[in-house]
Amino acid sequence: MSGTDLESLLRELAPQVLGAVVRRYGNFDIAEDAVQEAMLAAATQWPSEGAPDNPKGWLITVAARRLTDLLRSEQARRRREDTVARWELPTRQPEPAKSPADSDDTLILLFMCCHPALSPSSQLALTLRAVGGLTTAEVARAFLVAEGTMTRRITRAKQQIKHSGIPFRLPASEERAERLATVLHVLYLIFTEGYAATAGPRLHRIELSTEAIRLTRMVHKALPDDGEVAGLLALMLLTDARTAARTTAAGELVPLAEQDRSLWNSDDIAEGVALITSALPRGTVGPYQLQAAIAAIHDEAQSTQQTDWPQIKALYELLLQTSDNPMVALNHAVAVAMADGPAAGLERVQTLAKEKQLTEDHRLYAVRAHLLEMTGDTPGAREAYLAAARRATNLPQQRYLNRQAARLDDADNELSESQHHIWC
Amino acid sequence: MKYMILTYASQHDYDGMAGQGTDQPAWSPEEFAAMGAFMEAFNTELVEAGELVETRALAAPVHTRRLGAQHGVAFVTDGPYAETQEVLAGYWIVECDSFDRATEIAGRLAACPAPEQVTANAYADVRPIMESAAEITY
Repeated sequence: MSGTDLESLLRELAPQVLGAVVRRYGNFDIAEDAVQEAMLAAATQWPSEGAPDNPKGWLITVAARRLTDLLRSEQARRRREDTVARWELPTRQPEPAKSPADSDDTLILLFMCCHPALSPSSQLALTLRAVGGLTTAEVARAFLVAEGTMTRRITRAKQQIKHSGIPFRLPASEERAERLATVLHVLYLIFTEGYAATAGPRLHRIELSTEAIRLTRMVHKALPDDGEVAGLLALMLLTDARTAARTTAAGELVPLAEQDRSLWNSDDIAEGVALITSALPRGTVGPYQLQAAIAAIHDEAQSTQQTDWPQIKALYELLLQTSDNPMVALNHAVAVAMADGPAAGLERVQTLAKEKQLTEDHRLYAVRAHLLEMTGDTPGAREAYLAAARRATNLPQQRYLNRQAARLDDADNELSESQHHIWC
Repeated sequence: MKYMILTYASQHDYDGMAGQGTDQPAWSPEEFAAMGAFMEAFNTELVEAGELVETRALAAPVHTRRLGAQHGVAFVTDGPYAETQEVLAGYWIVECDSFDRATEIAGRLAACPAPEQVTANAYADVRPIMESAAEITY
């Protein structure tokens, strides 16, 4: 078994093993450490000694044994300190038990890790470690923080879960939809964190977007009939398909209109299109499905000019009904410009600029710059590109925006050199 | 008539069986295998005689939750036992003709192979099971 095969096997088994151990013995916080140790033992022993016939059984046995050790030292410490670990039973009656499938355990773990009692950063970190099977060091590296910081964040999150008394079972059906929405949001955040880092020199952190896709696939496998799960998976695939074209070899950002579409991953596009095509007619169309439908139109078009902008505009209008996200409104403005002309788009941007949330966002200025350029207002466009660059926090984005401003500068200089004496 | 045969072990006894030496030596692989073979034969014989209702072993004492109340306040405690405290480790429910027959069955457990420090002070209990609600109400 190659190192990559072993790693993907272990990562796939991680939530199943943790689920089995927590279902049996409780103690999520300690069980999570025990499973990590079992995974590390497998990673060191299996390559030399060979993988056991039943890898999952092996991992569960080793993790359960380790859990017992960890629990005992915890209990012995408590007895020395003469403290008792007492807690209260949740008052709600459990739902009738049914025999769980592995996929249910993965879902339950996701519901635990994305519990609303946890902060979003804790939800992300814990999901990657407990469900994704990443080590704390790997999670820390993915978020560009020190390992000690991540250890504290994960420990705190596990204590919060312990103290909140969240039982190991699927949430009651009446709250399941709401909780699933949180899970999907966390997966989406992991994906976008990987796709466009909010700070730091590299635009792509491929590991995180790949990991988000892998985890969303698991959820889709567990809930194949859920349209929003399918929509989110499709959205991720259709966005990730453009990764190779999205930056130059030097790491510079390439906007959609200028991307070499032959670099797009046609397998991902085909899978994403198939997913969204079968999900859309099935029932209520939620925001992830709408975004995936928009991404599919982009991915299937030969060029920006040949893109079905009226259709995209209509989809953004539907999306605006489900969300007051200012970014959706901004993207809608771009679609309006492409479908109805830059003046109509600028009018929308002008209205959005009055909304407080957006006044400091570089994307508003970048869109305005682009639309001003379309109308032929070169100085205005250059000014807006520079304003956008000042507000962007991501270096590749800043470099892209400054490059656009410089391009207009050159065009402007050619024009103004002859007029120079008039103004000075 | 139904009877329950109960056996006991401490967390340290469980450690020994799991191959960890604490205050007593760990079981060797041969010792462990011999116990397994004995139990399998013992249970098969009970099944064939039509006397076994159910038998189970319990997970280590460390995995215990105790529920109770103190001054009227309900609580749950994780791991309530001391390491050396002997607690229920496994049971058989047998259905047989008499208390004496159930006792005879339990007595055969004394032949179960195990390290000497375990057999030296081993014991089991046999208790009659109430057959119906009529036996516990007036």
